[in-house]
Amino acid sequence: MRTVCGKVVVLGLQGVGKTTTVTRYIQKTFIQTKTPTIGASFFSCKVEIGDVCVKLQIWDTAGQERFKAMAPMFYRNANAALLLFDITNYDSFESMKGWVQELRRNVFETMLLCVVGNKIDLHDMRKVSKDEALQYANSIGATYHEVSAKTDQGVGLVFEFIAHELIKLSGEDLNHTLKVYENVEDHEVNKSSEQLATETGVVENVNLSIDSIAHGKSIRSKCC
Amino acid sequence: MTLPLSGRIFIANDNICLIFKRSYKYIMYATKQPSLRINQADLQCKEGCGFYGNADWDGYCSKCYRNHMEQARRKKLKQAANAQSGHQGESSKSQVSGFTKFEEKKRQQTDKKTKYFKSLPVFKKTSSAKDIGKPEKYAGLRQSNDPDADKLKTEFLSKYKYLGDEIRRDFLRFSDSFIRQILEDTNVKPVDELAEIAQKRYNVYNTRINSYHLYQQVSAEVRAELEDFLEKYTMTALYTSLFCPSSTNDEDKDLSIQDRIRKLTWVNAHHLDCCISETSLEVRDLVYTAINDLLGMDSVKAPQEKLQCVVKCCRSVVEVLQHCQGGPVSADEFLPALIFVVLKANPARLKSNILYVTRFCKESRLMQGEAGYYFTNLCCAVSFIENLTAESLNMPEQEFQSYMSGEMTTVSAWDSALVACEGMHQLCEHLSLLNNLNERNISIQEEKNKLMEEMNALKEDIKRKVSSVLESTPLVIKPRKSISVTDEKPSGGSLLSNIAIATHNSENIDKTKLTLDLTPCIKFPCIIEDNIEEDNVLKPSLSADLLSPFEQSFEGTTPDDNSILGLSKVNYDIDLSDLSAENSMAEALTPEKRFSPTPSYTPDPFSPVGTTCTITQQPLIPSSVPLQMTVQKEPQQIKDDFVAPFLEDLTRETAEETLLDKIEATPTINLPPPINPIKTEYSGFSKQGWKIPSIPCNTGDYSSLSSQPGTSKQDE
Repeated sequence: MRTVCGKVVVLGLQGVGKTTTVTRYIQKTFIQTKTPTIGASFFSCKVEIGDVCVKLQIWDTAGQERFKAMAPMFYRNANAALLLFDITNYDSFESMKGWVQELRRNVFETMLLCVVGNKIDLHDMRKVSKDEALQYANSIGATYHEVSAKTDQGVGLVFEFIAHELIKLSGEDLNHTLKVYENVEDHEVNKSSEQLATETGVVENVNLSIDSIAHGKSIRSKCC
Repeated sequence: MTLPLSGRIFIANDNICLIFKRSYKYIMYATKQPSLRINQADLQCKEGCGFYGNADWDGYCSKCYRNHMEQARRKKLKQAANAQSGHQGESSKSQVSGFTKFEEKKRQQTDKKTKYFKSLPVFKKTSSAKDIGKPEKYAGLRQSNDPDADKLKTEFLSKYKYLGDEIRRDFLRFSDSFIRQILEDTNVKPVDELAEIAQKRYNVYNTRINSYHLYQQVSAEVRAELEDFLEKYTMTALYTSLFCPSSTNDEDKDLSIQDRIRKLTWVNAHHLDCCISETSLEVRDLVYTAINDLLGMDSVKAPQEKLQCVVKCCRSVVEVLQHCQGGPVSADEFLPALIFVVLKANPARLKSNILYVTRFCKESRLMQGEAGYYFTNLCCAVSFIENLTAESLNMPEQEFQSYMSGEMTTVSAWDSALVACEGMHQLCEHLSLLNNLNERNISIQEEKNKLMEEMNALKEDIKRKVSSVLESTPLVIKPRKSISVTDEKPSGGSLLSNIAIATHNSENIDKTKLTLDLTPCIKFPCIIEDNIEEDNVLKPSLSADLLSPFEQSFEGTTPDDNSILGLSKVNYDIDLSDLSAENSMAEALTPEKRFSPTPSYTPDPFSPVGTTCTITQQPLIPSSVPLQMTVQKEPQQIKDDFVAPFLEDLTRETAEETLLDKIEATPTINLPPPINPIKTEYSGFSKQGWKIPSIPCNTGDYSSLSSQPGTSKQDE
């Protein structure tokens, strides 16, 4: 059985429901089988799609503006980004756009972008139209989903979609941090070559300086 | 961007190549080592210079090794300079991987070819003797004197004993070459390069463990464990040289952040928009736990252990938040809380620790997993603190500045809570102490009351017993009266005197006196009646006491004593029963003797000339005929007859003793004439007793006392 390990970072302004969305998914899907560290902002879960097991590591981030400078530390090495905004709050949508720009500026590896509009249960107070969001998502090459963490609408779909995309990603492109294991007989053989993994590791290590990352300086400028 | 990067990669790959070459050679050498005994040529330098090689120097002699290293370094520098394009780097990389594979294969072949397998049983034979000591000898080329590392090593050797010598030796060989390499480069290369080397080593071992035939039987979990152990062991051994190395300014960073945090003490949870309720006691306890965990980071050595401390700390923070708000904790709340904890903890060498972990912890560990997440959060917290501005605290610049300069000071809830907490804590302690004391006081009171009751009961008991004893005594007196009636024969006034004695005795409530007075004669019936055990105990001791001096006194005496002694021995048993019937006499005796002895004796030693002597002689004479009579009448009288020394003995003894002795003496002598004659003899005693109370009336009688009643009467 193939195993794909992916890191998903959840980005979004404070109060858009990042943690709620994630916990909704985790609790609903996994609370019966395996208890992840509920209550923590870090989750690890397994999704089995067909014959592939996808291990998702979900990193929640602090959405406050003042912690924005630290975000690169979180989305470093991430395979997918869940960009959340609140459909009743236009600012959150704008802020989400800012995240996208930052990601495009700082991340050079393939990263799955997934724009998610939360709180569709409050559609009466909707400020961000579905068309606008969809249009934007398409413009950045991302997908758009609308969910309600409160009423549990479409949350599972988002994560399943991510899992699917990660499998696809692991199939087409080897040059990223997505780790794929193939269980052959009784021991795992790393499908993506170890050398490649080492390479990225080295690159990251060289640039791993708290200051540079925390200040949001791009990795590129540091390297050159 | 890619160009310089690939250049780095190129260097890295070259490094791997070198490491491989070196380790390969080393392994070759080491595998051959068992055969040293066989082939002496193997001992010599690989360069063939004729000098002996050393395992420390990869089998070279010291000089050749230095040359070899120098060459390798130069070659590497040249290669680094030549590395121009990513393509080149890419190609060289592939070459390297090909080369490593080739090397691997070759090594395996050589392993088979050489005496490796031949030497294996040899090795095993020797190693079986000292299982742990052997690998140390082969692979333990100690550069590190770190006791923790040595501990880990022994732990490793014992923990993975089941893996067999091969794997353990391989592991130690690898880790030791790792350690050696890092140590060599410590002062030469910048710490970042060392970090790269370390990371590469981890990866090399990872590849090795997954491809080397030696590890084929090892399960995936154990492989992961071994990898972790490699990291732990090497980093513990290298801790002193890699943690906060002198080549970096880590220490300055530590100091600056410490100073920074100190300046920010005024920042409270409210400033951080963090929902920690600083006043809650439970929350404060949890925060303390988190702080402790974070502080613990500095005390452990391996990066993974440090990470574990961070994870523990963060979990505590999560717990705090759950306690404060309930429900799942989002990163929005978690990060401020963590910042708050870091600010309040102000851990020592925080920056050094973080940098050390980032440099030398295995990449994968930092990139993913809970530990990676929390560590990232910690890094965020630190960088937030470093770059904290008025804006980030949502306060006006001016206010921020005044806080920072110390112009404005807030009594932060945390500080005041600490102070209050201290006060409260002391208060609580004192209260509990007071409560404790109070309880003890109450219990003491209860005990006291109980004791009082007991004492009262005892008092009552004693009173009752005494009264019962007292009741028994008049019973005793009655027979005496009857005796006194018999006594009346010689003298009518004796009855009165007896009664007087009885009353006198009864007046003596003092128990001891009673016992003393009664023991020899009266007590025994009393005992039987009242079942007083104490008295039973007293009885033999007293009687023994009574007996012994008496015998002594008689020992030095005249042949007459023989009969007396013989009697005394026999008496002893019978006395009591005999006397029991005649208490009155004893009573009469005792008081009488108390008063009488001194005056009666004194005259005797001085001179036999006194009137008493003349009189005493008179009873003596009849005594020879009716023996008992005379003796009983007064031992003094007998003594008078005897020589002076005897009297002296008696006088030496205390009044009571003499009394008692005499009391016993009298019965002893009494025995031979059992019943009837005794009474007559007693009458003699009673007369004396009678005379004692009469002393106040007639003081001059003492001389006459010793003499016959008739004379005394005459005196009166």
